Order: sequence, then structure tokens, then C-alpha cells
Amino acid sequence: MNAQVMRRLRPLFGTYVEVGVTGADNDAIESAFDVMTIVHREMSFHDATSELSRINRAQGEWIRVSLHTRRVLRLARAMMRASEGLFDCTVGGELIERGCLPQHDSSPHARSGAANDIEINGSLVRVRGDIRITLDGIAKGYGIDMGIRALRRCGVSAGWINAGGDLRAFGEIALPVYRRESDGALSGLGGIKDAAVATSATHASGAERYPGVIVSSQRDVPKQGIWTVVAHTAWRADALTKVAALAGSADRSSIVQRLGGRLVEERVAA
Amino acid sequence: MRGPIPALIALVPASLAINAFAAEYLTIPQAQKAMFPTAERFIDAQLSLTDEQRKKIKELSGTRQRETQQVWRAEKGGELLGWFIVDDVVGKHEFITYALALTPDGAVNALDILVYRETYGYQIRESQWRDHFRGRTVADSFKLDDGIPNITGATLSCRNVSNGVKRLLALHQVVLRAHA
Repeated sequence: MNAQVMRRLRPLFGTYVEVGVTGADNDAIESAFDVMTIVHREMSFHDATSELSRINRAQGEWIRVSLHTRRVLRLARAMMRASEGLFDCTVGGELIERGCLPQHDSSPHARSGAANDIEINGSLVRVRGDIRITLDGIAKGYGIDMGIRALRRCGVSAGWINAGGDLRAFGEIALPVYRRESDGALSGLGGIKDAAVATSATHASGAERYPGVIVSSQRDVPKQGIWTVVAHTAWRADALTKVAALAGSADRSSIVQRLGGRLVEERVAA
Repeated sequence: MRGPIPALIALVPASLAINAFAAEYLTIPQAQKAMFPTAERFIDAQLSLTDEQRKKIKELSGTRQRETQQVWRAEKGGELLGWFIVDDVVGKHEFITYALALTPDGAVNALDILVYRETYGYQIRESQWRDHFRGRTVADSFKLDDGIPNITGATLSCRNVSNGVKRLLALHQVVLRAHA
């Protein structure tokens, strides 16, 4: 890359987030981090004061939430329906039981629910009282998409955002992407241009270094695998990695494609 | 969805034989200027902490505090604008140097990573980190700065930096607040 580039790295979404732009534009980068900070704060499961936590303890009552939160809930619910439950944002209860997510209140929670348990009416949202919504991956992806939008609005012609391995690039750059395979090798997947890529991995022995859990109420989670999806948007790429992990190997690729993504298979050294 | 689903573009190289990498985002003077743009000067206020102070900081934050800490006073016209602190956090897989800007009251104004170093597939002790990067010499297996691999998946938790910030807020309470 010969063009001048400005990059910043900050902790956010529980990981490290890099924003890069061609040229030098502090304000644009700040603007991207600003909106991502808002998205993180509103949809954090860990933070008991987030909008998501308010939804989760509303005990079935209608509550008013902000535009970003409503949008992500709509996207999550739509993906849950379109994927017939392979993507499931209602598994918060299951993850609490496994100790992967904190329990903020003592009222009983179901391990998971259905897409119809989420209702959105204008700026009001209602969720079945015993369900715990989790938006972790999809909210991070959406945050990236909002960050990219902020960069563009500031007049940046090309740039990227890397939020702990969820990547999206825009403009006249091809961002080279690498992935750690299960044997530890770093393989070059190729470049992304005006696209997003996300990867989820399931580990046989549980990964201390890269915590991330995929659970399903419907099927057995594969013991080991690395699932990479390319899509237009980061929210979709992230959501589809979960779909890829849980779909049976026979129709995995076609299911992901039907839902707007391109699956990149795991590569094993010869 | 706009248009056909994007595909990966074929690029070389096909793989990277590296064990770790380091990326520098900002130098200390660059970070100082970015975080305190109106400051006229930064006065070196490096701290040497007493055992008593370190004990209190550990009690408040839950993390051990080193004996020294790099701190600067950001000043304009003799008035304290805030504190600029540089800190290292060392994990098994990462070694991160970052800058934190605090208001005189001890609220966080800004945070930026200055240097990010990560290993792959093996753990490394603090002394090994410092040996590898002393004088910024580049060993065969390290890739420095340009051409940083953008790695999909493998999310590293930012817990270490978050704990570092908590510790620095405690340090402000125990040591810096009195010097505002």
C-alpha cells in the first residue's frame, strides 16, 4: 500500500478495534469510534445498565429503546427467522447456565426462545419475560457497519475497520486477510474489497485465549471447526458464521449463500 | 443486499510464516498532542511509588502496580489540563503499550494504543517480550509495522488493558489527585 494511511487501535467490544483510513483524518476516525462506542454501550450483555440489559429485565413489558438497538434487534430477529433458528439471539439463558454470560438478576430465565418472542413497535420493544437476548457478534458487526458509514460521511475515500477479527473494507483498497487454521498456520485467504469478513471457531477443548462460544437449542454444535463468511456487511458476515457452524455439512455452503454470504472453507495443510 | 455476494480476491502471499508481530500506532509525542491539543507543555512527572502506595492501588484495583509509572502533566499557562500516562500491560500472548489521558479530577478523557505486540501459538514471559523488542531489533520470525496481517477470527480479549485502566484510575486517586 503506497498511499498514506492513518490507523488507530482502541479497546472496544471486549476486544481491540482498529480503524484505518487513507489520507490523514483524525476527525473521521474519532467519529467512527464514537458511534461504535455508542453501539457497544447500548448492546453490551455484560453491562447491567445497557439498553439490552434493560430489555432483558423488563419482564415482558414494553420499553422504549434507541434506534441502533431497534435496528439490531430487527436484523437479529429476521436472521433467526430466515435461518430457521440456526442463528439464535435468544440463547442468553443457555449461555448464563454455562457461565459464559453474567446473570444480572435472579428472576427465572428460559434457556432460549423463539423469534416471535421479540416484538418491535416503533421505538418500543417487548421481549417474552423469561428470555435473555444476546446480540454479541451481530452488534459488533453492526457497530463496524456504522463505523464505516461514519468514515464515509466524513469524506474518507477508502478505509477499513477490524474489530477483533471481524473486518470490513471500503473504497479502492483490497485488504489482505489471513486466518489462523486449526494447525496454527496463518493462511492467506485473499483480499476483501467493499466487503466484510468474519470468522467463528469452535474448539474441542475450549479456548482460553479466544473466548467465544456457539450454542444451539436445536442441534449439536460441531466439536471443532473454523467458519469464515464474506458478505456485504459486517453484521451479516458475523451472523452467518454462526449459521455456518451449526448447519449440517451437506448444505452448509448453500444455506449461507441463500442468506447472503459466501462460506470460506477451512484449509488444512497437505 | 446490494449486488452479487462479494468474493475474496486472489492475492499473494498464500501464507505467513510468522510467530508474532508488532505494530506502532502513535509515538508518545504524537499521542500527547492528539490527547491534549491545547497543551503548551508536557512536564515529566515520572512516579516512583512507595510500597504503601502500591499496596493501596492493589487494594483498590485488584491489580499489582509496578514501582515506577511514566506520567506527564499537560499544562497550559501554568494550569493543569490533565494527566498523560503511558502504561504497559503484558499478557501471555500480548504486550501492549498504551496512553491514557485523565482530567485533573481523574476521569478518562481518551485512550489510545501506542504499540501492539502479539504472539501466535505460544506463550511468552515478560522478560522474553522485553528481550525481543529491546532496541526494536527484528528477529526472523517477527514482522514489524507495514504489512500487518489482518487476521479474521481469533478475537483477543482486551481485559488486560481494561484492568490496566482500572489500576491507573486507582493510581490517580492514591497519588495524583493531591498534586492537581
